[in-house]
Amino acid sequence: MSWFSRGTASRREQASKAAAVTAVENEPEAHRSLALPAFFAALARSPKPNVLDLGAALGSNVERLSEFGCKLFIEDLYESKKSAGEGGSLSPQFFTEFLAPPAGTQFDFVLAWDLFDYLSRKELAALGARLRATCRPGALVFALTSIHKTIPAQPIRFRFQGQDQLIYERRSTIERPGPRFAPAELNAALQGFRVDRSFLLRHGIQEYLFVREGA
Amino acid sequence: MAWKRSDDLPGTHPAEPVPAPPRPNPAPPASPSHEPIRTKGERATIGPSIFIKGDLTGDEDLVIEGRVEGKVDLKGNNVTVGRNGRVRADVFGRVVTIEGEVDGNVFANEQAVLRQSGAIRGNITAPRVVLEDGSRFKGTIDMEPKDRQGSVAAHPGAQPNRIGAETGRAGESPAAAKAG
Repeated sequence: MSWFSRGTASRREQASKAAAVTAVENEPEAHRSLALPAFFAALARSPKPNVLDLGAALGSNVERLSEFGCKLFIEDLYESKKSAGEGGSLSPQFFTEFLAPPAGTQFDFVLAWDLFDYLSRKELAALGARLRATCRPGALVFALTSIHKTIPAQPIRFRFQGQDQLIYERRSTIERPGPRFAPAELNAALQGFRVDRSFLLRHGIQEYLFVREGA
Repeated sequence: MAWKRSDDLPGTHPAEPVPAPPRPNPAPPASPSHEPIRTKGERATIGPSIFIKGDLTGDEDLVIEGRVEGKVDLKGNNVTVGRNGRVRADVFGRVVTIEGEVDGNVFANEQAVLRQSGAIRGNITAPRVVLEDGSRFKGTIDMEPKDRQGSVAAHPGAQPNRIGAETGRAGESPAAAKAG
């Protein structure tokens, strides 16, 4: 219940603190995505797909996804991680409880955004195992990782714009060290998935489309 | 009394009395005299100090500013969970607007709106869903394609318009590699 127990007052305090940060934060930027068209194309081919969004609930993204008639599962991984306590490493049990779709439900598409960068290698492997258990064979996972030494202190908020663009909204100018996952590391962590497409973009973001193997 | 009519709230009455137009053929009242006369747009309010445990049904719009546990079933009417409202129940309505907190599923026949101050932990089923930025949502949204039933909409102004310096650069992936 920790997600729900935050009171209005504390939210106001958080909002005012956040406002102080957002006052100096970068303007949103739009970048072309090379993996997104393939993601949308697969989405368009799927009748009533189950889509898991591991980011925050954003109205404009929900609007875009509504065009595909999907069932959208929104599970904000970063917020859940914060609620669980930032100190230690998250256990596999956390991910089992975090990703618990209704019985018989399997995900066809996963939007992981840049959240892999905010997990330790152990946590990433635990998330990968949970995704493997909850994704249908052939399911696609869209993820972005940074090749820079530092990354924003909080995950970027991404919004769809058209067929092949993403708006990047940085929520803070504060930076933290980035994990700089190599493709081989991601492959090892996400067992049961293989890289379907990978693109290194000019602004230092590597885009991935992983596909769930099997069947 | 748990229910408070919004007609009784200050500011809901017209500022000045308006003379009634002449009625050439006054119609007889449609309902028997012992039934309460309902006007269109009537709505009830559950005040902030009220706690209701049980099911709520009715045929008028409802604003919840208090706490409700059970089920809110006003399928043909609008339901608003105000900023102070805390609902631990499934909510059924025509247009369901959440400004407070709902721990339960929301079923809207026309539209579900999650305001910036609102939070839902549960599932939304509606032909049209509006999520305002800053709102908190954990659960699923069951949607139908736009051309079939309706749409899901972002709050106006939620989407930034500024295009970054690198927008639209062709071949943004000099190292584009097909791996695997």
